[in-house]
Amino acid sequence: MIQLKHISKHYPVGFGKNEVLKDVDLTIFPGEFVSIMGPSGSGKSTLLHILGLLEEPSTGEYLFEGEPVQRMSEKKRTQLHRGSIGFVFQAYHLIDELTVYENIETPLLYKNMPASERKSRVADVLDRFNMVAKKDLFPNQLSGGQQQLVGIARAIVAEPRVILADEPTGNLHSDQARVIMQMFKHLNETDKITIIQVTHSEQNAAFGHRVIEIRDGKIQ
Amino acid sequence: MFRNYIKIAWRNLRKSKLLTGVNVLGLAIAFAACILLVLTAWRELSFDQFHTNKGRLQELYITVQRPEGEESRSNFPIPLTPALKQDFPEVKAASRFIAISGSIRYHDKTFQADVKSADADLLKMFSFPLIKGEMHQPLNSLSNVVITANMAKKIFGAEDAINKPVEIYLEGEWKSFIVSAVAKDIPDNSTISFDVVCRFENTPGYVSQKDDWGASSNEVFVQLADHATVAGFERRSGTFVNKYFTAILRDLKRDGVAPGKDGQLMSLHLMPITTIHFNSISSSGGAISKTYPYLLLLIGGFILFIACVNFMNLTIAAAFSRSREIGMRKILGAVKTQLVTQLWGEAVLICLLALVTGLVIAYLLLPGYNALFSNKLSLALLKSPGLLAGVLLGFVLVTLLSGGYPAWAIAKINTLKVLKGSLQAGKSNGLRNVLMVTQFVISSLLICCTLIAWQQLDYLRKMPLGYNRDQVISIPLPYEMDTEQALQRMRNSLSGQTGIAAISGAAINMGRGRDGASQSSIIAMDYKGHSVRSNWLRVDYDYVKALGLTLLAGRDFSQAYGTDSSGLVINEKMAAQLGGVQAALGVQLPVLDSAHPLTVIGVVKDFNFKPLKEDIAPLTMNLVKSWPVQYIFVKVAPGDLQGSMALVKKQWKQLYPGSDIDPSFLDENTDRQYRREQRYSGIFISAAILAIIISCMGLFAISVLVMTRRTREIGVRKVLGASVIGIVALVSKDFVKLVLLSVMIAAPIAWYVMDQWLQDYAYRIHINITVFVAAGGIALLVAVLTVSIQSVRAALMNPIKSIRTE
Repeated sequence: MIQLKHISKHYPVGFGKNEVLKDVDLTIFPGEFVSIMGPSGSGKSTLLHILGLLEEPSTGEYLFEGEPVQRMSEKKRTQLHRGSIGFVFQAYHLIDELTVYENIETPLLYKNMPASERKSRVADVLDRFNMVAKKDLFPNQLSGGQQQLVGIARAIVAEPRVILADEPTGNLHSDQARVIMQMFKHLNETDKITIIQVTHSEQNAAFGHRVIEIRDGKIQ
Repeated sequence: MFRNYIKIAWRNLRKSKLLTGVNVLGLAIAFAACILLVLTAWRELSFDQFHTNKGRLQELYITVQRPEGEESRSNFPIPLTPALKQDFPEVKAASRFIAISGSIRYHDKTFQADVKSADADLLKMFSFPLIKGEMHQPLNSLSNVVITANMAKKIFGAEDAINKPVEIYLEGEWKSFIVSAVAKDIPDNSTISFDVVCRFENTPGYVSQKDDWGASSNEVFVQLADHATVAGFERRSGTFVNKYFTAILRDLKRDGVAPGKDGQLMSLHLMPITTIHFNSISSSGGAISKTYPYLLLLIGGFILFIACVNFMNLTIAAAFSRSREIGMRKILGAVKTQLVTQLWGEAVLICLLALVTGLVIAYLLLPGYNALFSNKLSLALLKSPGLLAGVLLGFVLVTLLSGGYPAWAIAKINTLKVLKGSLQAGKSNGLRNVLMVTQFVISSLLICCTLIAWQQLDYLRKMPLGYNRDQVISIPLPYEMDTEQALQRMRNSLSGQTGIAAISGAAINMGRGRDGASQSSIIAMDYKGHSVRSNWLRVDYDYVKALGLTLLAGRDFSQAYGTDSSGLVINEKMAAQLGGVQAALGVQLPVLDSAHPLTVIGVVKDFNFKPLKEDIAPLTMNLVKSWPVQYIFVKVAPGDLQGSMALVKKQWKQLYPGSDIDPSFLDENTDRQYRREQRYSGIFISAAILAIIISCMGLFAISVLVMTRRTREIGVRKVLGASVIGIVALVSKDFVKLVLLSVMIAAPIAWYVMDQWLQDYAYRIHINITVFVAAGGIALLVAVLTVSIQSVRAALMNPIKSIRTE
């Protein structure tokens, strides 16, 4: 599903450069639940951003479902964002001005889905996440765990094939974190969604099939 | 999708009520001001555009080289028009045009009416459609008149006007006419206007002057043939001038006048009918200078621009705080165009809200605006397609400028940076500062111009004119009256009454009376082998005394001398042409005919008998009865001026119970001469005030944003011991610098522009540096006050609170 070949990433710093990723090779198969772990500054977030097409690698080749990403047009990348990749962030990044319902609906709007289908999809997801009663609330009226649930609901509503989660439980206490992780596990097992998460916690990593350790820009 | 956008826009607007309020209110005021200014300019520019033949219609004017310089005028000898039609195949139709009376009578009921005389071609050339009566040759007979629908209603009420007999007061008597047709009311944006029009042959003096090429009176309008050009006409006019103006050309050559640029002493020219409203050569037109409507548009644009800048600054500032939303949308699959559409759409929404509010404000202000600036505007003008298109275009431009740029700026920012939170709101203020400086340059410019224009007007109003303005009452006499007799009767009844110092009369008013009229006549004569030109003013006995003129030599006209009807009193300028003040006394001038010369009996000090735009010209006052007295002047004693006015009115009522007069003091009349200037300076002042208010609204909003951002810094400074004044100074400093810079940029521009404007006036002020200091002071004061509201609040805030909130 995802193949990285000799990926490096460096940023210019003064006259030199700061190498964040060094010659990374990585293959992730469909239906996998992978956790990326490592200390701060090891490059795990950068790796996730590259996987999510938010950043370009400096060198190397990235194949997404067999297609080389470097040669994709802006339009094609947007298509992937609309349909194939879902994101979940540590800080949730919900749109404050929209209700729970509208936040979940937004990705479908960009897919130009007809109103009736949109309605049933959002209703399904709300139902599944047990949030029907909260659909007209705004994000600041919810607890952190609930906000992250909305974040996940938004990520899966467009039925992506892969979810990228950047420390999804970093702002939550352990009870809430467990709920979120169970949700990921459930999505992975029943919906066959590939999940890649960045995490600090061994506990969370245990929910996945495979752990990738990264240190100083290299996979161990 | 669209609903989603609108929902977000609405929620955003409600979230920041203060900033939205500033935005919408500022824009709405700007829209309202702009709409009023555009309407005013549009009306001025629409003058005479309604004629179907407008491309072919021209007014004739003549340029004559004189010893004192070039002179252009649009008045012509009566025989010129028939000759023109005969000699020029280029001329398809032509009509003479002149005002001949002010009164019309039907069954002993007299009505005020604007009576013009013209040739039959007039109604064919111009688009003054007939609605009733003889449609094809309404002016076929000499005794036919065409009246407008409005006038017909006034005179005849519900009765049919066609073939009704009416009488017009001409040359001291009532002459009978028959109404042959009724014309549609003349649009009020027509330079050429009449209530009643009759055949030109009814013009007073027609019979005696119909072959006289020496006297000029009527205007001439021409319709060119389809293939003729103005250049072609003007080229061939040389021969025409040489053929008919032989006597004048001979005199000009004798006086050694140099030919003009085209090598001619006299030449005929045409001006398109659509330009006469702006051309002061035209006797009917020349109401305003062409620059004024464009100036209004410019000012409207300025105000709108200032409001747009506010909008831009606020949208950019607010949008950066929304960057998280924008970034998230990008990740969810929004493309740049979708984001720009969304943000621009929000701008359109706000602008639309502002436009509607602006229209309502404009609608509410319109009656007051019309009254204040004596305009006749209505919002219905907005229905005309050209203007509507212009307004829509302006609206789209405003939304593009105020919403489009910020939208584009936000949409292109890096997604990742936004989500990582490394993007700081409004870090680079370069653009914001440039925009704010521009705003304040415009505001300061308008303030400077306003101050200078106001000083100039004040100077004109207060300048001594050489005659008494405060104590002299001027009475315009009704048209249909024996005015000489009226003057005599008023003289008899008023003289000797307490409070009355002197009574006289004249054919021409001083300044502009309540009747709004102003006119002048010029004569030319030969004196010792060269021609002498002078303004010609019919006055009456005691004129010098009544107006408080200063005699330099000789004496005033007086009833004590029997010979004064052939006497002349001249001013210094005229005396200079006759060899000096003393030498001029006793000079005999062949004014009317050489057999009966008129003698100079007095010389008065120069006085400003014309508006101060013009220098004092030679003036000859006389008692020649063929120019009847039209105004009575009464000099009253100082003190009870209103009592004297009441006395004058009372005496008149006793003498002429059925007739109304509208007397006024001369200082009112001279003020009225500058009505147009006052009107425009009124618009200027309002615009300047608006500009500074809207600029400050923007400044206020920006200062709110800046203070919010600097709350923590201010808190820390206070903890470290900074004083309130120190903090206020610290945060106001940046804004003050910008405003100072703006004033420095605006001052030279204002100086240049206003110096050009002042060149129009023969009497003008010198622009003083204090004006710019004052303007700078005003701008600075208002700006500092605005910023202080926020900075003082920030400085007084409890530091514990402000530090904790971060």
